[in-house]
Amino acid sequence: MPFLKTENLTRHFGGIAALNHVSMEFREHEILGIIGPNGAGKTTFINVIAGIYLPTEGKMYFNGQNISDLPAHKRCRLGIARTFQLVRPLQGLSLLENVMVGSLFGKGFGQREAREKAIALCEFLELSDISRDITRMTALEIKKMEIAHALATQPKLLFLDEVMAGLNSDETMEMIALVRRIHSRGITIGIVEHVMRVIKELTHRVVVLDWGEVIAEGPYEEVSNDPMVITAYLGEEA
Amino acid sequence: MRNLRYLLYIAILIVLITLPLYTGVYLLNVTDIILIYLALALSWDILLRSGQISFGMAGLFGVGGYAAGLIHLNAGVNPLISIVMGGLAAGLLAWLIGMAVLQLRGMYFAIVTLALAEIFRVIVRNLPDLTGGPEGTVLPSAIFAGNSTKTYWLVLVVALVSVIASEIFRRTRIHFALTSIRNDEVVAKSSGIDVFKYLVFIFVVTSAIQGLTGGAYAHIYGFVSPEGSFSIDFTLLPIAMALLGGMHSTWGPVVGAVVLGVISEFLKLKIPYGHLLVYGLIIVIAILFFPQGIVGTIGQKLKKAHRA
Repeated sequence: MPFLKTENLTRHFGGIAALNHVSMEFREHEILGIIGPNGAGKTTFINVIAGIYLPTEGKMYFNGQNISDLPAHKRCRLGIARTFQLVRPLQGLSLLENVMVGSLFGKGFGQREAREKAIALCEFLELSDISRDITRMTALEIKKMEIAHALATQPKLLFLDEVMAGLNSDETMEMIALVRRIHSRGITIGIVEHVMRVIKELTHRVVVLDWGEVIAEGPYEEVSNDPMVITAYLGEEA
Repeated sequence: MRNLRYLLYIAILIVLITLPLYTGVYLLNVTDIILIYLALALSWDILLRSGQISFGMAGLFGVGGYAAGLIHLNAGVNPLISIVMGGLAAGLLAWLIGMAVLQLRGMYFAIVTLALAEIFRVIVRNLPDLTGGPEGTVLPSAIFAGNSTKTYWLVLVVALVSVIASEIFRRTRIHFALTSIRNDEVVAKSSGIDVFKYLVFIFVVTSAIQGLTGGAYAHIYGFVSPEGSFSIDFTLLPIAMALLGGMHSTWGPVVGAVVLGVISEFLKLKIPYGHLLVYGLIIVIAILFFPQGIVGTIGQKLKKAHRA
């Protein structure tokens, strides 16, 4: 039984199909790369799986359960978590409290337990001074906080939407190591990324989207030599 | 530190309960009005913590007042119990309309709540057999036969209910849910928060507080009328108090209600016909120069001093 399976998943925005009959699978414990040019539908795919948008057509199954009609908060409680392409920290809550939101509502822990889980996750992500206000945090720290927030919901499947964007090369290395450590906790990861080096180093398998359709699927080495993929990224030969 | 703070709370509580011993009837009546507005200001602020701005307070206040008065009059229910039932009636009504209205957000929600308050008033006006129509209904007597000390205690209990509700919502998981929803509903949903459920819950609770307050008000004056019980003052003044005192806290609306309440009473005596003008000016200046409100601004100053 596939871990997450989509069947003909389609999402229209007006006349545009942001996702067009996407059928694919996630295997348990893999790191799956989702790549494609800008506007290919990568973030829409995450939003449809996470329940932020309902699909126009098609179905999705998580651990065999049809989740197509479930609202976002219930999918989170089933174990699907995600970070956001642009950081969205919660103002008015401290670093620790931001992370606690995940453990309070994702798994429904009580306040004391949620706090302990959140503190442990901040340690795991090497976030210090956790009672500080989020206005006094660096970009990398906020990204890490959002990962901690997502992990605090105790996910089985975690989507990372361009977590490397805006990081320098040292920070990128740190983030790659971090993704590995998250994976080694037994969490299946879907990673959307433009930095190909990251995809190459991290992923077991890659799915390439273009204009909302899957145009290639397989290990990075295979996919990166696929003529369709090269055309999608570089355009038609003159 | 913590024990000291609880001692302070207990001291304040004792002073409040024993207030009738040191003050006259006039001051007690002024305090009653301030406490009524304080409860409304706090209930408005609690809903605001979820990001929803309501202009419907006067509506639920009036519904609570009419429900309490009419239940007492027609069913002979004890006035105190009828006040509680007024709160429950407002809560029930909020639950029914909240299921529809809370699909809206921001400006749209605010305008619809304003319209709803007006609709309640029009309905009440046009049901003369039940509500007494435009003239309103006079109750057989004011509660406690107008005893100012007991009346004050009643209003104090209502205000304390709103303070306790506010503090519960500041200290429990509800605080995290409301703050998340106010910030970013997509993030809230993605963290497992049932956004709609929390919004309905908080709308019902704050409306019930407004209904309870309206019920007490109706019984204190022994009279309900469309223009009196649904007066827009019960929407606008509490909002001004919460803004002046500082939003998203318990102390903010409390301080704002006391400060503006005292000022407005003083101005009423000094300039009987122009006091609302000065009142409005205070609010404009407060919003322009202290957007965080009194409590928020002081809190920031203290934080800075602490850091330096």
